Amino acid sequence: MSKIMTDEMTPKERMSAALGGKPVDRILCAPLILNHASRALGMKVRDFCTSGRNMGEANIACYRKYHPDLVFIFSTTSTVAEAMGTVMKFPEDDAPQVLEPVVKNREDAKKLHPVDPRKDGRLPIYLEALKRCVEEIGDEVFIIPVFGAPFTTAAALRGTEDFIKDLYRDPVLVHDLLKVSLESCLNFIDACADEGGVPVAVDPIATGSIISEKHFREFVLPYLNEIYARIKSKGLPGVLHICGKIKRIIAAMAESGATILSVDDIDMEEAKRLVGDRVCLMGNLKPAEVMFKGTPEIVDTAARECVARAYDSPGGFILASGCEIPINTPPENILAMMDAARKYGRIPISPESWQ
Amino acid sequence: MSYEKRQYFPEERRNEMGRQKEEVLNDLALAVIMMDEEKARVVAQEALQIGIDAYEAIMEGLTKGMEVVNEKYEQEEYFVPEVLICSDAMYAGLEVLRPHLKAESVTSPVRIVIGVVEGDTHDIGKNLVRMMLEAAGFEMYDLGRDVSLPGFVEKAREVKAEMICMSTLMTTTMDGMKRVIDLLKEEGLREGLKVMIGGGPISQAFADTIGADGYAGNAAAAVRRARELLAKEVRA
Repeated sequence: MSKIMTDEMTPKERMSAALGGKPVDRILCAPLILNHASRALGMKVRDFCTSGRNMGEANIACYRKYHPDLVFIFSTTSTVAEAMGTVMKFPEDDAPQVLEPVVKNREDAKKLHPVDPRKDGRLPIYLEALKRCVEEIGDEVFIIPVFGAPFTTAAALRGTEDFIKDLYRDPVLVHDLLKVSLESCLNFIDACADEGGVPVAVDPIATGSIISEKHFREFVLPYLNEIYARIKSKGLPGVLHICGKIKRIIAAMAESGATILSVDDIDMEEAKRLVGDRVCLMGNLKPAEVMFKGTPEIVDTAARECVARAYDSPGGFILASGCEIPINTPPENILAMMDAARKYGRIPISPESWQ
Repeated sequence: MSYEKRQYFPEERRNEMGRQKEEVLNDLALAVIMMDEEKARVVAQEALQIGIDAYEAIMEGLTKGMEVVNEKYEQEEYFVPEVLICSDAMYAGLEVLRPHLKAESVTSPVRIVIGVVEGDTHDIGKNLVRMMLEAAGFEMYDLGRDVSLPGFVEKAREVKAEMICMSTLMTTTMDGMKRVIDLLKEEGLREGLKVMIGGGPISQAFADTIGADGYAGNAAAAVRRARELLAKEVRA
């Protein structure tokens, strides 16, 4: 039986060591706690994501509750698009959603400007939350503001359905939207780095569940290359998260320049075989089936299997959820996931001893 | 364009001068498969001009095309943008053909109510399922997105639907599906109705838990599952 050992390193020490190829006490564990952080202070999601103070304080409390190895600052994948003019709706207790995309035609696209992260939309809220977290817990853990990559941002500017049809119907418009989205993302990366954060790009609309590898290489990859070039120029690690089915695009994801790929719907052994020698893999407990609807025992079993499959990936492995931890996930399931990392991820890892 | 020329021939000669019927039906299917909206419209008009029955043109042309699209989607040769544009081509052809449908050729179709459950506005997956089911010959009543839970029940009663399809991409709204099933029971409508669900966080296990009849992981599977569920119903 595996015992739960206490941690010997802070999350920041562990992450830094892992990135530098140095010894760690256990594998890293980063449940993608995003809007769920609101629950650490019993907040409704709308109150959480519309105030920098609330978002910051809730994330600090959430860190102290679970001690995850990364702390994410996130509300939606459309926040950059929102700062460029897309109208969102804010349900009282759920993540904001796109209400009205700002680009109806080519003329609208011409009116777009790259964001000023200190002024536009809710980006200042993210930056305030980031600042509070860095001040309060930044010595112990990396703070990760999460934003939609250019493809996902452009989809939220245009409306996803029209946007993906435009890949055929108006590729010029698509590239125009991608260019201005890229500029916005780069501005946000700069602002986050200035505040001591490690910005992370997510590109859920570029998933293999929606587009082909051909389109990924044409409309996604060149812009991701620019994103990671900028992040790396700050001396920061590049993390790329794409959820859904990614088997067909994971090789292209590994060419983005990101050093860590956060993956969802793929067998970790397959991911390891395809790109494990080139990147660190992060994943992939099922958010709904395991984390939200499961029990601590189910989480423990799923985490153990995930570790067994991926712990020996040559480029490294971080235990995570495949996508956002559902907002109403029972806290005991997240604690069970962290404990599983301490149990099964203790170095040296030996799956044979888990009987 | 050769098609333009044919219009100069008198009505009775057009069929023999024109292309073979099979060729035209094949072209209709191809227009859908090749994502060519304009061609679908033009060939649909040609089909009518050479006297092909509108129902046959839909079933043997457009629908056949969408079946191939469905296969390509399942084999991951086509993805969502391709399917959306193929569907646009199908609808362009349908728009031409539908006004010419003869009452006697239309057998009363199975009616299905579909929508994204309350609290969620992600509707691409639902749209794909609606298009595929429509192409498969079901009569679809699309309630759109962020649909109030009693709204599903009311619509199903109003149109005498045989199935309700619900989707969501969010974990916060998935439990609304169970609520719809409970409402159906309360209203005494559950017996005569099949319920099929899908969407990102949905699984067969969740479908079993809430007592839905079926789960489908994608639009192609949704067509198969709908056929199975409704065929079973007819036999019973």
